[in-house]
Amino acid sequence: MIGLFEEFLSSYGNVVDLCLLNILLAYGVWLALSGNMFTLGTGGFMALGAYSSVFFTTQTGMPFSFAVLIGGLLAGGAALIIGLPVLRLRGDYFMLATFAFTEVVRVIALNWESVTGGAIGIVGIPRYTETWQLALLAIAAVYFAYALRHSHFGRSIAAIRQDDVMSQTMGINVLAHRLTLFGASAFVCGIAGAMAAHLNFFIGPTDFGLLRSVDALSYPILGGFNALLGPLVGAIFTTLLPEFLRFSNQWREILMGLLVILVVLYLPGGAMSLLQSDRLARIFRRRLIERHSIEQRAES
Amino acid sequence: MEVFAQQIVNGLSIGSIYAVFAIGCTLIFGVLNIINLAQGAFLMIGACVGLEAARFGLPLPVTLLVAAFGGGLLGVLSEQFMFRPLRKAGGHRWMGLVASLALARLLVGVAQEIFGTEVQAYPRSSMSAIIWQIGGVRIQALQLFIIAAAVVLMLLFAFILQRTSLGRAIRTVAFSEDVARIVGVRVESATLVTFFIAGALAGAAGLLLGVLFNVVSPFMGDSALVKGLTVMILGGLGNIPGAVAGGFLLGLLEVFSVAYVSSAFRDAIGFGLIFLILLVKPTGLFSGFEERRA
Repeated sequence: MIGLFEEFLSSYGNVVDLCLLNILLAYGVWLALSGNMFTLGTGGFMALGAYSSVFFTTQTGMPFSFAVLIGGLLAGGAALIIGLPVLRLRGDYFMLATFAFTEVVRVIALNWESVTGGAIGIVGIPRYTETWQLALLAIAAVYFAYALRHSHFGRSIAAIRQDDVMSQTMGINVLAHRLTLFGASAFVCGIAGAMAAHLNFFIGPTDFGLLRSVDALSYPILGGFNALLGPLVGAIFTTLLPEFLRFSNQWREILMGLLVILVVLYLPGGAMSLLQSDRLARIFRRRLIERHSIEQRAES
Repeated sequence: MEVFAQQIVNGLSIGSIYAVFAIGCTLIFGVLNIINLAQGAFLMIGACVGLEAARFGLPLPVTLLVAAFGGGLLGVLSEQFMFRPLRKAGGHRWMGLVASLALARLLVGVAQEIFGTEVQAYPRSSMSAIIWQIGGVRIQALQLFIIAAAVVLMLLFAFILQRTSLGRAIRTVAFSEDVARIVGVRVESATLVTFFIAGALAGAAGLLLGVLFNVVSPFMGDSALVKGLTVMILGGLGNIPGAVAGGFLLGLLEVFSVAYVSSAFRDAIGFGLIFLILLVKPTGLFSGFEERRA
């Protein structure tokens, strides 16, 4: 049995690593989404974690675990700093501000050659990331999400997601809650970036752009961000699927695009809404529509 | 002084393209309150279709029309088969963003399959050979054509939006979909036309961009989308005059930062600026004289 498992790991190890990494990322993004923050800052935070951890492991000889932690803390700290002004923005403006942040980080990475290696990136990063570490982090992320949903903090967040003005009048400090979530999300993304950097031997500025941020967003949204295991399902699904479509690079992109559109069109609640019973699904959908109209009213 | 004048010419020619592209992006936001992240892919398809037309031997103005039509058709299809069913299903607005990016991904794949993955160049047109030398300033006939074409497109667009019944219908939908229904506007066709116009502007911008830099590739849409979003923020989401001004501003800003600061900071200045604007004046630089959407 164990032999079989090892054989599986040796042939599909890369895919498993990638899956676990993306699960971690999915829960990082989910944290932001659960506070109604559609963030495109993921790429930027990952880049911060990746570049700083690589700097510390290769230039200063710091132990890997510390470097990863510092990478995560740096990303989280950056989120707290930019979060204060950015979180005043609503909806699409918030999205665009985080997008600008990601691009600024990318441009810095492109030009700060002494640390980031410029456009060429950093090659020959020692591979410290092990599968079990990624698995542990992914499990921790799921557990954290579970604990959060059942905590007082989590319920406040749910209230904010429904109606932030009402939550504020009920005595919830909306800004503090959002800032905490945004920082936590960036922390997780920074750690994921650091792990990714020490997994792939190579990082470059193009690894952490708009595309990366959007991919990360699509995991929880496709999986269903209202379900605990939604981000996990979404991450595994979107990571594994391209592996089955290896026969042609172009067709892989085409089919992936088509599939995502179909999921969005026919399962607007995400893939996890398939598992819910019909009645639940109907209630769920009605609530979504209500929330949608509340949002529209709030915007207009 | 000569360098300065030269940069003005270069900045205006690239800025006019940004403006044309951004008008389409901002129009969709103004009318339907969604950000279509597939606009960059429409631009790329426009450039590819235009390239095929140019290879066919068609003159430049005709290829511009072909590219615009290609982009517009894609816009209509995306509205009919993606955005509209999505709105009907009452999905979260995040779904629209994810779906439009998936569409962009799909189109990049299709373009690679049909047009190949390599960077391609336009057949040499007679226009890039004609260069006027005024003082120390080099002006290509091509640059003038691009600026002129962009201005004509913008005027045409302004005319349709302000002076025709179609434009009135679109503006009514932008004001409120319910009100539009009450006064008898056919909302469905108005949104289709909106998407056609936005797609056509993107397609035309793609051709102009391809001609100006003489480069067409399936991946040109991504960086164009980034520029389009930047201009949208500069001008304010949904603000069309703002998009025009923002387009020229970004073009000039980029060119001048390359000339006087460093090419490395070309993009950094643009993004730093939008970050600052979002924090200080999120309604855009030009919201003072045009508050109304679309």
